[in-house]
Amino acid sequence: MIRRHFFALALSAAFLAGGFLASAQAQMAQSVDEPVTITFYNYNLASAGLGREATLDLIARFEAANPNVHVEPIAAPSNEVLSRVQADMVAGIEVDVAQLVFRDLIYAANELGAQPLEDLAGDELAAHAAGFVPNGLALGEVDGKTYGLAYVFSTPVMFMNRDLFREAGLDPDQSPRTWEEVKVAGKQIAEKTGKHGFFPGAYGPIDGTFVYQAIVMSNGGGKVRDGNTLTFADKDQADAVVMLRDLMDSGAHARIDVGAHMDTFASGNLGMFLFTSAVLSRFETAAEGKFEVGLAPMPAFGDKPTAPTNSGSAIFMFSQDPVKQRAAWELMKFLTSDEAYSVITSKIGYLPLRLGTLDDPRYLKDWYAANPKFKANVAQLDRLTPNVAFPGPNYRQVENMMKEAVTEAVFGDGDPREVLKKAQDLGQSLMPQD
Amino acid sequence: MTNERRIGRVAAHGVMITLSVLAIFPVYWMIQSSFRAENEIFSGGLFPSAPTFQNYLHVLSAMPILRILGNTVVMAGATTLAQVATGVLAAWALVRWRFPGGALARSLIALSWLVPFQVVMIPNYVLAARLGLLDSVAGLVIPNAAAAFAVLVLYNAMRGFPREVVEAARMDGAGSLRILLEVVLPNLRAPLASVSILCFISAWNEYFWPLLLIRRMENSVVQIGLQFFMTQEGNDWGPLMAAATLASLPILALYLVLQRQVVDSFMKSGIR
Amino acid sequence: MTDTTVFAAGAPPRAIPRIRLSTVEPWLYLAPALAVVVLWVYVPLLQAFELSFYQWNMLPRATPRFVGLDNYRNLLGLPDMRQAVVNTILYTIGLLPLSVGIPLAVALVTGNLGGPLRNFYRALIFVPMIVAPIVAAILWRWLLNEDHGLVNAWLAGAGLAKVGFLSDPDVALWTLVWITGWKLIGFSTLLFAAADSAINPTYIEAARMDGASGWQIVRDIRLPLMSPTILLITMMTILFGAQWSFVYINALTGGGPLRSTTNVFHVMWEYGFKTMAAGWSTAAGMLVFVVFGLIALGCLALMRRLAVYDE
Repeated sequence: MIRRHFFALALSAAFLAGGFLASAQAQMAQSVDEPVTITFYNYNLASAGLGREATLDLIARFEAANPNVHVEPIAAPSNEVLSRVQADMVAGIEVDVAQLVFRDLIYAANELGAQPLEDLAGDELAAHAAGFVPNGLALGEVDGKTYGLAYVFSTPVMFMNRDLFREAGLDPDQSPRTWEEVKVAGKQIAEKTGKHGFFPGAYGPIDGTFVYQAIVMSNGGGKVRDGNTLTFADKDQADAVVMLRDLMDSGAHARIDVGAHMDTFASGNLGMFLFTSAVLSRFETAAEGKFEVGLAPMPAFGDKPTAPTNSGSAIFMFSQDPVKQRAAWELMKFLTSDEAYSVITSKIGYLPLRLGTLDDPRYLKDWYAANPKFKANVAQLDRLTPNVAFPGPNYRQVENMMKEAVTEAVFGDGDPREVLKKAQDLGQSLMPQD
Repeated sequence: MTNERRIGRVAAHGVMITLSVLAIFPVYWMIQSSFRAENEIFSGGLFPSAPTFQNYLHVLSAMPILRILGNTVVMAGATTLAQVATGVLAAWALVRWRFPGGALARSLIALSWLVPFQVVMIPNYVLAARLGLLDSVAGLVIPNAAAAFAVLVLYNAMRGFPREVVEAARMDGAGSLRILLEVVLPNLRAPLASVSILCFISAWNEYFWPLLLIRRMENSVVQIGLQFFMTQEGNDWGPLMAAATLASLPILALYLVLQRQVVDSFMKSGIR
Repeated sequence: MTDTTVFAAGAPPRAIPRIRLSTVEPWLYLAPALAVVVLWVYVPLLQAFELSFYQWNMLPRATPRFVGLDNYRNLLGLPDMRQAVVNTILYTIGLLPLSVGIPLAVALVTGNLGGPLRNFYRALIFVPMIVAPIVAAILWRWLLNEDHGLVNAWLAGAGLAKVGFLSDPDVALWTLVWITGWKLIGFSTLLFAAADSAINPTYIEAARMDGASGWQIVRDIRLPLMSPTILLITMMTILFGAQWSFVYINALTGGGPLRSTTNVFHVMWEYGFKTMAAGWSTAAGMLVFVVFGLIALGCLALMRRLAVYDE
């Protein structure tokens, strides 16, 4: 009897403690003087390849440089890492640093209680961010404050099967720069080779919202939402989807199993594939001795500038304890340092947040010279446009409705503008009220 | 008559061979792909042109796969034992006696099957954390220690057991536990074996609960391990197929062993 | 250990009102299973029921907001819902031949064959069971792919048109039915074979002596005595068809192309379980539980009336 009572009390006490700590404001410690352990939730660790090795390498280097800090890594796949963080918070387990994808940005800031970095480390943050790409900090910004530090990320680039280009009588060195040219090249590849012309990794089930958003924002800069108002069915935004539908109707856009688009390209059956540059090394291995992989910047709408949008993730701090905050901040700084990006870019293939590393012989200069393909990717970094996350408690549902509508608009036979409008009206009712 | 029978037998074999080929071809595909180099994966053809063990070596070096397989065997074995034990006891209670609340208990157990795991996931996670079960095999087993499926199948099997035999044992003064252990169970080897196989497989294929509960690769189970070769940036086909092949072997072995039990009990069933 | 000692060891007889052993005994046998089910399923389910009327993400720092039936209304009002219900019925109808029809035939036919061949066939048909569901999904995706898949290469080789097994909205659902069923055939065959082997052979001998044909024996003895298992698997297909196929929907199509493969469980997943909102998620869970629970009670009642036991 007593024990049961105790159990119930312990439960509510833990819940209360969480609430109490969250409201307490503490100053981050100046240094870590005693051994401390921080947790690091990471999705690269939940793979068996280069991502895991590189991450473990980074953690080891950090621990060597900060002997008082022990990092306890917790692996969860990218689509599960948020639920893991949330479950642990509910269970009263301390979460210190977490790598979360950009779609969860606002949720992490407003609901999970990620720490605003300006409040914690204002000057240090400014100094640290000095070498970032333009817009680098903005990737993790919510309402004017930085909650997530952009970490491993990339932008959509156009993968080309250069052999299919040649087979279709096209010059692979003249990569299509506009959507008009994509249409022409796509049709020609489809007709001449019997294979597929073009496909954007912009639909589900594999996350492709960043590709879709990049295409949309390249058409005049309109976003999928404006504050709490959904705008993905507005004129420019819808026109971008209508363009994709037009590619589909013309035969330039492949109608394939959307869940296997990477395999379709890797098996040599697709001429052009717009997707994250993080898959480059995988494609090169698969294509070895079969066909030549080319890389080009993402296509533009006429002479409008493109808006390459970030895929990937940022790192967030959830620590409440001042000493752990310091340890976590040091880890975050290290993971976004010149040294770290030398590892991240050369080993995993993500973009360096710090472009200076590419010219520095201590870091990526030699590697960059040996990997000229990477230029297509770096070339569009000065136009890096932050991915737009959704706000409010129903953000996932709203994003889902948008994704479904885009897919239906392109693959279906209804009027794409109407399809988008209908989804936008429905989604609007689930957005937060102003 | 004999001619008709022969035609029937040939037709039966024909159907069985077709079904068998359909059943095993994808598995064959998995195994042969595991011997292909990464750039040969999509090359087509029924055999790898230059078979390689590279993928297996990669799996062995990229993760502690043997340890993971070991964890999974322990987890699935313990879960099976627990489910069969709780299932036998519960089924026996429901078959042996008619008692007030019996139907309710049966419905409670049966309906528990219908509760989607995702609904109870977070509360169970909180409970498991309080009980110190995170990142442990015990944490994987305990919440799954009873399965409605096992209870229902064993209930069906026990209902088919002749009542006279039970009555006779009772007349001899045997208690209900003894009747269960010495009279009923030995005659239920076929259902017990098949329930065990199915419980083992479903535990082996458990994904969501270990995904939430396990924090370190060394404590992981094989379904999570497979996921390590599948990321948002595509699948590592060769190593994935190698790991999947390794993950299938223990179940195949178990099936072949328990299959004998099913057959044996068929041979002996003349006894009763 | 006899029954009386168990009881006597419990407590001094005078301290509690005397309960007849026969009333307690069944509960002792039921206790382990019931304890697990109550602690790990029903207690959280009650919490879920309460949460389904709130908007909350379960975090201690947030306050739950009572929203009444909004979560249910939002879920049932989703545009995918009607299609999902229709598809769920299609999945169930499509699965029955694969989960009941073929396995039953296999169990009966191989039962007749006897000898090592019987076990050989049964072992081969069981093999899909041992493949992890996610692996089964991607293997079939690969084999059935329009461009680099073997099946379409064979179709093309035979001069037939290629089929977009997963990209054609008219075909994709049946592809998923096949993949789900492919995994199930071994499972059902095993259960049917076990039920068949449990039939008292003296019945069959006696019928044979009376000059019954093979078919008559199947119809009048084997099928009726296998009826509890047949009904169980039929019921399982109806109740879990949506969940079983969900694994493949989630891994392969995400409900597409053009929502042609979505089903109720997948919609619940997309908008409920997968999201961080406890309200949506628990409301989805309660809907699944109540709707399928009612179907289950109906099935159980039917089962009691239809099943034949060798008593």
